[in-house]
Amino acid sequence: MLEVIDLTVAYGPVVALHAVSLTVPDGSMTAVLGANGAGKTTLVRTISGLTRPRGGSVRLDGRDITRLAPEEIARLGVAHVPQGQGVLAELTVDENLRLGGLWRRDPKGQRGALAEAYDLFPPLANRRHVAAFSLSGGERQMLSLGRALVARARVLLLDEPSLGLARLVLVQIMARLRTLVTERGLTVLLIEQNAKSALSVADEGIVLHLGKVVARGRAQQLLGEERLRHAYLGF
Amino acid sequence: MSRFFVLTLNGVTQGAIYAAMALALVMIWRATKVINFAQGAMAMFTTYLAVFAIEHGTPYWVGFLVALVSGLLLGAIVERVIVRPVESAPALNVVILTLGLLLFLEALAPMAFGGQIRSFPPAFSIVGLRLGTSQVPFSPFDLFTLGSVVAVMLLLLVLFQKTDLGLRMRASAFNPEVSRLLGIRVGRMLTLGWALASLVGALAGVLIAPSLLLYPTFMDDVLVFGFTGAVLGGLDSAVGAVVGGLLMGFALTYVGGYFGSDLETVGALVILIAVLMVRPSGLFSVQRVRQV
Repeated sequence: MLEVIDLTVAYGPVVALHAVSLTVPDGSMTAVLGANGAGKTTLVRTISGLTRPRGGSVRLDGRDITRLAPEEIARLGVAHVPQGQGVLAELTVDENLRLGGLWRRDPKGQRGALAEAYDLFPPLANRRHVAAFSLSGGERQMLSLGRALVARARVLLLDEPSLGLARLVLVQIMARLRTLVTERGLTVLLIEQNAKSALSVADEGIVLHLGKVVARGRAQQLLGEERLRHAYLGF
Repeated sequence: MSRFFVLTLNGVTQGAIYAAMALALVMIWRATKVINFAQGAMAMFTTYLAVFAIEHGTPYWVGFLVALVSGLLLGAIVERVIVRPVESAPALNVVILTLGLLLFLEALAPMAFGGQIRSFPPAFSIVGLRLGTSQVPFSPFDLFTLGSVVAVMLLLLVLFQKTDLGLRMRASAFNPEVSRLLGIRVGRMLTLGWALASLVGALAGVLIAPSLLLYPTFMDDVLVFGFTGAVLGGLDSAVGAVVGGLLMGFALTYVGGYFGSDLETVGALVILIAVLMVRPSGLFSVQRVRQV
């Protein structure tokens, strides 16, 4: 279970997150929605340790991880898939995938997870030994996701996975994600500008506006609220 | 024997040493985007440690090992103590610090080991090998120099390309932030990178010391020529560093041999300018257009 409690983050005088709280239970998916500058990326960066909060805390299964270094948080099974730039362009597809699980020091489990990732994303299997910079946007996104799977992450923090993806690819990826949540108990925090597609797969949703939570609830319920959709979600 | 042949043989040995220095600089550049101007001074210091051991009665090979191991440690210490604290500061700060370290080590060496010029024993004979009845200007020690540089380069190649540790080190160099998100302890990888680079530099130091004599600034020229080689190769490429270093070795011995040794340094400068005019980013740099 991932808990964010009263998280406040500021860049100098600019407060990016204002006492944000949320809970993602195991085996569920929460979508974080909002426009550009709402603080969505800051939220995931703070959870994964890249940004230091001014106040509040982040807990993983009850353990306070707020002050841990990003690499230590990753080793607890939290995989942050950053927006767009998550692949190491200079390395091959295979090297990128392998990197995900190296810290586990479990070559056998690693091989299994690798095969599974290729299974799940066939386009990657065909381009195994190609440098990642030559991949398309969609393939890069698959690579980032596949790498999180190879890491056998328990908690997945996805920052705008829909960015630059063709609609069809997005639908496929979301469907696969949903399966992983239901079948394996994966816990997902999904950051999205594309509210409609995010809410259609998520269990819960919260809406950020200028660093504050302005709405939260069941995904289906948020989808139905016309006022909210017009004011913050733009569809 | 033709003069060209003689010079070529000299050039390849010299070049191997410049290549090692260039490789050390490139490894650090790739890992931390810093030119380590203290690389030569660090190698000087480890060579002094080696000669100190040898003068106190240890065999050559113990001294050789002392140089390499102290190189490894010195590199790690410099990264931890000097570079790490200014990691997030502008790159210029680190460069100035490495210049400071250069001055510090060159002042410390005569205080610690005495200021007199020393000779450094070679591991093998420096008398040219005999081929039939004629003697070629290529000694067993030259062979050893070439062999050990090649061996270290092959080992590094295997480490970086074939092992998980090497993969983690490459990832840390390319993108520290993403690497940390993948659970890689980037700090340790950087320390290790500096340590390995400094080991390669230390190797260059013990290999060239027998032909140069040992004094506190004896590695300065090697640093300059190694740096030139690294820039020729594109600064970003390990292969480029090796080729650039070798080219410098050949160029300097040809210029020295045909036009007189006074012109060696000028020759190096001319080559550098010429290459950079034709290929401003160096011979082996890969300019990639990033997709957005």
